[in-house]
Amino acid sequence: MPPISRRELSDDAVRRAVGYLESLSSGSTGATASLYEGPRTPEGQPDLNGIWQVLTTASWDIRAHNAQDGVPAGLGVVDSDDIPYQPWAATQQQENYANRLTADPVRQCYLPGVPRVTYMPFPFRILQTPDHVVITYEFAHVVRIIYTDGSDHPLPNDFWMGDSRGHWDGDTLVVDTTHFNGQTWFDAAGNFHSDALHVVERYTPTSPFHIDYEVSIEDPKVFTRAWTMRMPLYRRLEGGLQLLDYDCVDFLLQSLTSTEGGAR
Amino acid sequence: MTAQDVRALVLVAFALTLPATIHTQDATFDPPRTEWGDPDFRGHYLPGQYQPLETAANDSWTPPDGANIGQGAAFSRFFEPDPDAPPRPERLTTPMIIEPPNGKVPFQPWAVEQRNEIMARQDDLAHLDPRVKCLPSALPRAHLPVGYNTYQILQIPGYVVMIYEWNHLYRYIPLDGRPHVNSDIRLGMGDSRGHWEGNTLVVDVTNFTDNTWPVGHGAPPEGAPGSALTTGHGVFHSGDLHVVERFTMIDADTFRYRATVEDPNVFTEPWTIEFNALRRAPADHMLFEYACHEGNGRNISLMTGVDVDNARTGAR
Repeated sequence: MPPISRRELSDDAVRRAVGYLESLSSGSTGATASLYEGPRTPEGQPDLNGIWQVLTTASWDIRAHNAQDGVPAGLGVVDSDDIPYQPWAATQQQENYANRLTADPVRQCYLPGVPRVTYMPFPFRILQTPDHVVITYEFAHVVRIIYTDGSDHPLPNDFWMGDSRGHWDGDTLVVDTTHFNGQTWFDAAGNFHSDALHVVERYTPTSPFHIDYEVSIEDPKVFTRAWTMRMPLYRRLEGGLQLLDYDCVDFLLQSLTSTEGGAR
Repeated sequence: MTAQDVRALVLVAFALTLPATIHTQDATFDPPRTEWGDPDFRGHYLPGQYQPLETAANDSWTPPDGANIGQGAAFSRFFEPDPDAPPRPERLTTPMIIEPPNGKVPFQPWAVEQRNEIMARQDDLAHLDPRVKCLPSALPRAHLPVGYNTYQILQIPGYVVMIYEWNHLYRYIPLDGRPHVNSDIRLGMGDSRGHWEGNTLVVDVTNFTDNTWPVGHGAPPEGAPGSALTTGHGVFHSGDLHVVERFTMIDADTFRYRATVEDPNVFTEPWTIEFNALRRAPADHMLFEYACHEGNGRNISLMTGVDVDNARTGAR
């Protein structure tokens, strides 16, 4: 923890304080006006430790969609149901959709990227310490280590899951993720992005059992403007619950050994 | 040069600066405490030094008739030393196995045959080293020294959490004495239950799958083939594998690690390995993304001829 004087001089701290005051004076219902009254960590942040899961159908399609065989219908999670694709990208998305059963990177067991990993139909566990929020996911044992120690993104690199840096904005955990490799999709319906993707997630607990999850998406190579999706995260309350395994690679390799590898 | 390449070089450079001391005495180091009074294991760690699993004397493995090892299979290029590789950390010569006293894996006779068959058929996807296939490391293998794994330990009241950089593996170790999960449940890293014995974290692990190797990546001594049992390669286990681990800090930067491996279907008796498994990393260390499977298709194709890149699962 830096001395008070240094914290007072930090641009980021000033920006946060100003943002907070503005949100109050403008009567905003934004995250900083959270009504959260649940448990808090010794540092004063809402305590998000535990196992969480979404109940949307965004994993199959983040936009409104009818049911198909094995796919539940859904109203979508994108604001106004409008993903502002550039014209070429809208065409690409339609192509992706047509080829989705073979082209979806998750069907090759590749890491699902952010935010898709959040709303896959698997639980995830948040581990919160003063300088980290670590999210471990049941799907493919994905790990995101989100530094909340004030550090910035490292030198540009390309990661399937990006590089995540977080901070607390009032009672909201804000996670800024960049340095993606551009090879992941947003869902199983071919909605996609490039390596210029910039994701800002806002985790705002509204009770001990609910988190408002808001995601803003920027990618100037693919979209004409920023856009937003949002959905609730629900705390899993079953006694004795723990994350189990969905080892996608194991299933993929087993299918190969049973059809051809085993005969060698 | 990729981030992983840089990481490997840094690890090597760091390892070369360390003394090769082996501590065989019980630790007397008193670690700092967490805010809630548990021994404080938190931090980033590098793997230990290369060390053979078994005693080198009378290595018990010889290639069976017809084995293709060393006969041009891509597999052998993977396991044998690469002359262009950067210098590796100094290798210890003491075997990791401290029980039984002969320093050997106590295979049942049929299991020796099975192990030979596994090593002879590394060009078959079904037998290929599970770690090369990017399956979970299992235990204690996740703690055996390799140049491309690092670790982070986090603690919250009631839990120790270990994160493994290699293949983004993790395990939550609850400390509240709860029983293991239902015996039908199978987990690549097993099901961990921990408790403190003084300053030592004792972890009981069960519920493993049956398609991983419990050890592997110890280092062969000079002159021994990469496929020798001194590496631990090809040692297999059944779903009844039971591992008891002990993590003890022997100084502010080093963990002594002991693991007892039990599997009545494969071994004649429990066996125990002990070595320094975790060394504190430099202050600016962070775990990188180790996307194992994502870049592995060509690797597997070379070794087995199986086209992984064009395979698909039902996941969606």
